[in-house]
Amino acid sequence: MLKLRSLAVGYRNARGVVLSDIDLSAAPGDFICILGRNGAGKSTLMRTIAGLQASLGGGASLDGDDVASMRPAARARRIAVVLTEQQFNPGLRVDDVIALARQPFTGWQGRLADIDRAAIADAVGITGIEPFLRRFFSDLSDGERQRVMIARSLAQTPHLMVLDEMTAFLDLPSRVEIMALLRSQAREKGRIVLLSSHDLDLSLQLSDSVWLLDGEGGFSVDTPDALSRSGAIGRAFDTDAIRFSPADGRFKIGTSGPA
Amino acid sequence: MSARVSTSVAVLVGALAALALLTLTYGQIALPLAETIGALTGGQSTDLARQIVLDIRLPRVAAAVVAGAALGMAGVLMQTLFRNPVADAWSLGLLAGGQFGVALTVTAAAFAGPAAVSFLTVFEGPSITLAAAAGVAIAAFAMLALGRRVGAITLLVIGLMLGFTSQGLTSVLLHFAARAGGRIYGGWTDASFAGVAPGALPWLSLPILIGTCVAVATAKPLSSLLLGETYARSLGVKVTTLRYAVLAATVLLVAPVVAFCGPVSFVGLIAPHFARALAGTARILPLLPLAALGGALLALAGDAIIHAPWEQHFLHLNAILAIVGAPVVILILIFSPAVRQWR
Repeated sequence: MLKLRSLAVGYRNARGVVLSDIDLSAAPGDFICILGRNGAGKSTLMRTIAGLQASLGGGASLDGDDVASMRPAARARRIAVVLTEQQFNPGLRVDDVIALARQPFTGWQGRLADIDRAAIADAVGITGIEPFLRRFFSDLSDGERQRVMIARSLAQTPHLMVLDEMTAFLDLPSRVEIMALLRSQAREKGRIVLLSSHDLDLSLQLSDSVWLLDGEGGFSVDTPDALSRSGAIGRAFDTDAIRFSPADGRFKIGTSGPA
Repeated sequence: MSARVSTSVAVLVGALAALALLTLTYGQIALPLAETIGALTGGQSTDLARQIVLDIRLPRVAAAVVAGAALGMAGVLMQTLFRNPVADAWSLGLLAGGQFGVALTVTAAAFAGPAAVSFLTVFEGPSITLAAAAGVAIAAFAMLALGRRVGAITLLVIGLMLGFTSQGLTSVLLHFAARAGGRIYGGWTDASFAGVAPGALPWLSLPILIGTCVAVATAKPLSSLLLGETYARSLGVKVTTLRYAVLAATVLLVAPVVAFCGPVSFVGLIAPHFARALAGTARILPLLPLAALGGALLALAGDAIIHAPWEQHFLHLNAILAIVGAPVVILILIFSPAVRQWR
């Protein structure tokens, strides 16, 4: 169970508080999409929930334990992240990348036990990355790399998965496939999956619940259907050039009033 | 350890032992192999052979092996910490910093008077190691701060320039120090393993041994830094603590080398790439023994070449290392994806 109690996120600099008074919860098995325009605070919120950034007030707890005060290694056994950040290093191979997911579970040498190998094999099988296991990470395409990072996060066997813009590099079929895969992972393994995406169509179709950031510090949480119908999606995303049509459940281009 | 890593370690240990034996046997005076072995094992050999092997050649060979291994491991640490495939203690100016630290200390002692000079002479081992460590540490901190701002290539160029600056300053300082009577340090602007006296070997080896232990202890968290800082933190690594630990290990590994052997170029830069190719992985723990052995082999090979019985002495160690090393660096700069990412 993930609980946010009057959480305030942001920075201790000029950018200040981005979002505040967030009271939310998510249950095991939930597949949640966080939507909002650039700068609305999606990444800040997700980084705070994942314990990678200090909150400015309130807190997030996972299964009753405060994320910020968990010991780093204990947190790493429960929370996995996927980011857009990608780094190349000479000699780094795909199997190295995935094996690193088991570091929170291994001894000082990082030697893998049977249970670690099983988790890795499982993640590799689910994501279908066997063919590149011995390739250099830097030689993969952007999409392949992202798939590897998702496999890595699954191999970490987390209770909570936080995926920031992770579908950005993928083509449409891969995006659908990966999002469906994450949804079934949530359902089958009882994981909480928290995912931010610019892919509104897919997010609205696949998620159980949407956390919608309107870009002005406002926040609405509901099922995708309810948010579309209430016009909240439109309020968060509409510009002069593009408007959300609640009737069709998608965006339409044009400058003349709601379609 | 995977079979691939253990096999590589075994082969490299064999090669290193063979090369060491060769270096102990051949030189200006060539000894029969049996006499070298006899001198080493306390068996049958002449006094002259014992003197040549044990007093002259063995300290040099030991220094080359220990220093080469230290530079190789420091290269693995630095390339990961700096996310830079051309980083090492020499290329990022750490050796130059250490050299400058020693020069400054010697000069200060020279101006402080004969008492200071004799103190420095008596406690030569610890004092010049400490002076070098201070210089190395300052250079390392400065480069790490810079490394967060500039790309890999810029950092390399800055490191090399820092090297030139410090070498210039060192030579100017020693000019005045020599006039003031400071004669402690022979002004190594070139690297050499031949100047390491048998009594200095413990001072060379002890910090390197401690540095090796720290490096091994940080190997696991450092591996996760290969994915980037945020991923490392998400894997439970305290990145700031890790940085300090890795820097401490680097200083311990590098300072004694620069104090006793001078600025040994290229060894620490190439050895990690050699180790990765052999290990088939970028995980740090299996790379450390391979980079240590590779660095030791390269350093000893360079030393063996310059001490071969040439008609006209002297070949310089860094000249040999540059002939091997510089082309490798050029290839890395052209082909490494990690370098390409920075462009």
